[in-house]
Amino acid sequence: MGETATILTEVFFETIAYWWVIVPTIFLGLIVGGIPGFSAANTIIILMPLTLAMDLETGIVFMVSLYCAARMGAGIPAILVNIPGTAGAAATPLDGYPMAKAGKGQQALSISFVASCIGGLLTTIIALATMPILARVGFYMHSVEMIVVMLFGISLIASIAAQDLLKGLIAGFFGLMIGSIGTDVVYATPRGTMGFLELYDGVPLIPALVGLFAVSEAFIIIEKRVIISEDAEPKHPNWHDTIEGVGIALKRWWHIVWTSVIGLAIGVVPGAGASIASFVAYQQSRTYSKTPEKYGTGHPEGLIAPESANNGVTSGTLVPLLVLGIPGGATAAIMLVVMQFHGVSFGPALFENQPKVGYGMFMAMAVSYLIMFLTILPLSRYMSHVTTIPTIYLAPLIISFTLVGGFVPREYMFDMYLALCFGVLGYIARRTGYHVAAILIGVILGPLLERYFLLALKKSDGDVFVLFSSTLGNILWVSLFLSLMLPIILKWRRARRNEEVPAE
Amino acid sequence: MKTLDRRGFLKTSAGAGVMTLAAPTIVRAADFPERNIKVIIPTREGGGADRNFRAFAEVWKDKLGTDFEPGFFPGASGRVGYEVYMGKEEPDCYSLIFGNMGPEVLNWAMQEPSNFSVDDYFYFGRVDVDPGCLFVGAESGLQTMDDIIAAGKERKLNVGTSRMAHPASIGLLALGEATGAQFNLIPLSGGKNTVAGAVTGEVDFSVLTSGSVIAAGDAVKTLLVFGENRVGEALDNAPSMNDAFGTNLPEMLSSRAFAIHRKAAEDYPDRFAKLQESFKATFEDPRLLESYVSLGGTPEYLSYGGVEECAEFMQAMLELGAKYKPLLTGA
Repeated sequence: MGETATILTEVFFETIAYWWVIVPTIFLGLIVGGIPGFSAANTIIILMPLTLAMDLETGIVFMVSLYCAARMGAGIPAILVNIPGTAGAAATPLDGYPMAKAGKGQQALSISFVASCIGGLLTTIIALATMPILARVGFYMHSVEMIVVMLFGISLIASIAAQDLLKGLIAGFFGLMIGSIGTDVVYATPRGTMGFLELYDGVPLIPALVGLFAVSEAFIIIEKRVIISEDAEPKHPNWHDTIEGVGIALKRWWHIVWTSVIGLAIGVVPGAGASIASFVAYQQSRTYSKTPEKYGTGHPEGLIAPESANNGVTSGTLVPLLVLGIPGGATAAIMLVVMQFHGVSFGPALFENQPKVGYGMFMAMAVSYLIMFLTILPLSRYMSHVTTIPTIYLAPLIISFTLVGGFVPREYMFDMYLALCFGVLGYIARRTGYHVAAILIGVILGPLLERYFLLALKKSDGDVFVLFSSTLGNILWVSLFLSLMLPIILKWRRARRNEEVPAE
Repeated sequence: MKTLDRRGFLKTSAGAGVMTLAAPTIVRAADFPERNIKVIIPTREGGGADRNFRAFAEVWKDKLGTDFEPGFFPGASGRVGYEVYMGKEEPDCYSLIFGNMGPEVLNWAMQEPSNFSVDDYFYFGRVDVDPGCLFVGAESGLQTMDDIIAAGKERKLNVGTSRMAHPASIGLLALGEATGAQFNLIPLSGGKNTVAGAVTGEVDFSVLTSGSVIAAGDAVKTLLVFGENRVGEALDNAPSMNDAFGTNLPEMLSSRAFAIHRKAAEDYPDRFAKLQESFKATFEDPRLLESYVSLGGTPEYLSYGGVEECAEFMQAMLELGAKYKPLLTGA
């Protein structure tokens, strides 16, 4: 224990000494995270020759800072202009963008930064302290259990559908149908691809994401003068709003804590990602809220939940990488390649043979979050100017920016057209009262649900009772049932209480 | 003063004619490559193919005098990458595909896409040979082949594989035939998930390309190799299947190789010759081994192969694919 504390202290001071790497990397991460289509993973790949040329410590600090900052950066355009930079930020605009439209973009950014930094820092510390236990989570979360986790996220469709059940469910099922396009996970047989080679690997997420959210939003805002509502009070960005946002977030510290832990728990399962965590955290946050009706209208807790959770995933993905040698996600897989180049061998022996490398990765993450908190928060004042740019400039900028973003991950022209198609689809959905988020949840979580479902069925030779074959799975089923019933029970109790207290 | 007689004139003219006719070819060959060479990789970034490609391209680029630009097109068990290469890339020797001959040829045998024939491209440069192997998680209750065979006779064991159409999957099916044990192949989409499946107990054990298993270190234990164990201790001294069970199975290899449009090689033989020569020269450079090992490659697996070796391997895979097609496609 004493030896570990000494190593941690040493590593902490050594990491702080790399501030000159961390600070510029944070800004690079914010930029690549904010541009749809770019991510920490493809940036590390693009900069691979540079990363390989760095010494091991510098390389670790660079990759980890970039990873954290890119995750946080994805939330900025999601809040300000309704463009989630990655699938992990897809739940952020649900409440972030309505805040920006109401003239509270600066507060929303502050809330997002505080939730991300505290969520990320806290889960890093928890991960560091409980690594051997957390690494075991993957031993219990198999395909059956993951099906239930997916259903937690997908049940958000029902919550969204609450305002107009039929339209919400139609949108959700439509999203699930789009999500089933592509080759099946067992025999790789193409389904519903309409002969397009580009759809063999499924509907690409980034074009769907930017199309449904950003392009359709650009079509909408072109009808207005600026993004913020005309009845919102026009004011110049000021420090007061930033501090107010920090206050709003800190007041909800417990919310940050438990939603980030959801992210951590999902992040440690190999293959599960930030998109699942952010939707599950949003759904749970809404379920246990005293004011669920405020979600989707610019409610701070609706913004805190996905941002804390997706930063919790960031720390979670390092656990299976370091303890088991299994990368939890795409960025962790690239880190593995770079670190193997430097002779690091992951797995159970890492903390015995090279403890400074193992602890160093977590410490780099913790220090990055600390420095990010200090460097990014003041920027919210300037970033929120975006919402006051006249839409005649902003709408074309959003469309061109997102089309390029749609193109970047696979470099297919097809993906740009697809983003436009999703944009038109999103525009029609908005104009006819269908919720685009319900479609998107289907598109993002549908293929993952199908994958786990088919694997579970394949393992059981087609026996559907496999879904109730594990103790943990059954506990999760009961939790899911309770979580779906709770809002109905609470609503019924409230209605009953109102009946008992006669109106004055 | 010497004058040009009729015979001299004819000789000079003939020589000049030959030079003139040959000039474009010579110039073309001398000028090739004038730009970077695009390489389609039909798997994701960060995987084994990415690693091997980077290691090889690092040295090959100096031999050829140009850089290589990788483009990753994963999906449909490699089919997307091949469709992109055959359908969208010009057959001019400026684009290649770096694939895994074993699983990708098998995948072709399973699906037989109508857009192009398997003869429309061919592999010309093999980089490595990596036999498939069978391994368990370090904490698995099945720690020996005897445990596996005994358990496989009592119940159907779930076995993780990277994809159904994979040489290691065929190795497992052959093991089932030889021992009477029952196995249920579970495609886990990629090497990392296949390792994770065995380690975390999602499946009873897994089969995979051994290079990826070596990289997983102590988290796994190898019990059987579907070919020769070239690395001994690194694969826990696991025996080959033929030695352990008296079978006569050809090596179930993942074998990464560069391929090219057949039309490109026929239309630009000079360019293709330069690609082949520089490819071979890369193998003679000691930097290749350094680069390959530094990126996590297993030095024993680095193995040069030309057009003939690749064609022979491809044919063997097509025959095995036809034999096991019903089991690998669920048809």
